[in-house]
Amino acid sequence: MLEPFFDPSSMQFQALLAGAPVVLMCGVLSVLVVVKRLGFVGQGVSHSAFGGVGVAALLAVLLPSALARADLVQFAVVVVFCIAAALGMSAVSNRRTLPTDTAIGMFLVGSMAVGAVLVHVSRTIGRGAPVQSWESILFGSIFLATRAEIVIGWLAAACVLLASWWFRRPLLFWVFDEDSSPAFGVRTRAMRALLMVLLAVSVVVAMKLAGVVLATALLVLPGAIALRISRRLGPVVAISVVSGMLALVLGIAASTRFDWPAGPCMVLALTLMFAAAAGVSSLRRAEGPASAGAAA
Amino acid sequence: MSQAAVEVESVTFAYPGAPAPALEGVSLRVEPHERLGILGPNGGGKSTLVKLILGLLSPQSGRVSVFGSSPADARRAGVIGYVAQRAELELGLPITVREAVMLGAAWRTAPWRRPPREAVERVDRVLELTGCRSYGDRPVGSLSGGQLQRTLIARALAAHARVLVLDEPTVGIDAAGQEQFAALLARVHAELGVTLIVVSHDLRAIVAGSDRVACLARRLHSHTSPQGLTPQILAELFTHDVAGLLGSLRGVHVHAHAAGEPCGEPSHAPAPVQLGIPRTAKSAAAGEGAPGATRGPDA
Repeated sequence: MLEPFFDPSSMQFQALLAGAPVVLMCGVLSVLVVVKRLGFVGQGVSHSAFGGVGVAALLAVLLPSALARADLVQFAVVVVFCIAAALGMSAVSNRRTLPTDTAIGMFLVGSMAVGAVLVHVSRTIGRGAPVQSWESILFGSIFLATRAEIVIGWLAAACVLLASWWFRRPLLFWVFDEDSSPAFGVRTRAMRALLMVLLAVSVVVAMKLAGVVLATALLVLPGAIALRISRRLGPVVAISVVSGMLALVLGIAASTRFDWPAGPCMVLALTLMFAAAAGVSSLRRAEGPASAGAAA
Repeated sequence: MSQAAVEVESVTFAYPGAPAPALEGVSLRVEPHERLGILGPNGGGKSTLVKLILGLLSPQSGRVSVFGSSPADARRAGVIGYVAQRAELELGLPITVREAVMLGAAWRTAPWRRPPREAVERVDRVLELTGCRSYGDRPVGSLSGGQLQRTLIARALAAHARVLVLDEPTVGIDAAGQEQFAALLARVHAELGVTLIVVSHDLRAIVAGSDRVACLARRLHSHTSPQGLTPQILAELFTHDVAGLLGSLRGVHVHAHAAGEPCGEPSHAPAPVQLGIPRTAKSAAAGEGAPGATRGPDA
């Protein structure tokens, strides 16, 4: 069953190659997203990609150059739109006048509306020009990833992982104690902006794998699973990435064997892993006091 | 005159749109190695003064300096350590106490480098000094409130702070915990010679570990030794809240002693009860009425 995953010419191997950078990125960022309670931000950013897809589709139709239709340019347009939306959510939210969840909700629905209108306009004036289908935007299509998209995914993953490693100390300081960060010289706005940019890049790449609807799951579930199992940073990041990889393999395997959609299968696998980790964690907690009592 | 650890000169600050300034004409001088308590009611401008000292706010008029530098420069150089009021920490972050303290010492270290040996030794020392060493390998999420506070103090000290600012450090801590906390600050002060600024509306927290007390309610109402805090000063400082404040002194020994430096003349002097404040080792050695090197405009 696992043999095709080691055959470079198989579609399973290609899907694994496309999914691995996403799982790597999201596995690392997921820990910060869960700890910093940014799950809804991830949801907002991923849905903002709708707007980006709309703008990219319109550019591809309006501009005669083939450059506008190139994968890298289309990817860059969506990333820039998502980054702008993420920074916008962060900038307009204010504890007193506009709560964060309201700001995210506004950007989420606004971007989806912009995307829907622009994709419709692109189809109308493009007259048959290829525009990404709603289904692939919503649920992803990992088996249809082109070589260029796979290369972009690995480049994006390299950038996200390098930035996470480079800024790990101020980033961790900020995540742990945002209130005191300015007093220590840690630039809180810069750290928040950095995390938003990293999230936006990851979400746009993850869309290809799991779609807009399920991209958030990749930013939440791996970290939630890992934090149920360990309370040490190194193991938590490792478990987060490994659980994502396991879900990727399971999703691809289920998809090829039963002809189920790969993205939702991945998320289901992660959800089951979380349920198992939560169960084990609860049992361990329940045994803790009992065993301590027995020892006493 | 030697260089002050912290010098606040005629500072006025108003938040945009606020009807009245949060601070008005405040002057304050904190000597190196001194322990200053800043006492005042809620909304009296204590946290604003802390933000000015940390360089997070700039005064509309006046000047603030920390060891001769601007607060922002001092902060960037790690000269000021800060423990926030009821810090909202993300305790789900899977880091140990040692790692949290190391972040204070080495968050500026180049990403490709390990924390320098000097930083590691400093972290070991402050963990020992603050009593965190025994739980240094535990996750921060498993700590009690008191242990967490010690961790934050250790983190501030690990950053080589010469001035340690603690904002409302005893909120939510019981009487026994407050005594332990006072002993911890005394130990830190004696071992590291760090200048301490403790901001609180809790009189007990202030008098237990200060050489001098600044009373702040928008203006600096008095600048005196803990022994000089009289009911008159407190009545003026806290106005309507004085009964509750005096209530919080239950358990503090009350006896007669010389009055301090009341500010202004209250129209109705409260009952002639003098507060006997436990004397700190340093103030006892220095004698009554410890230095009043600085005075507020009202003092």
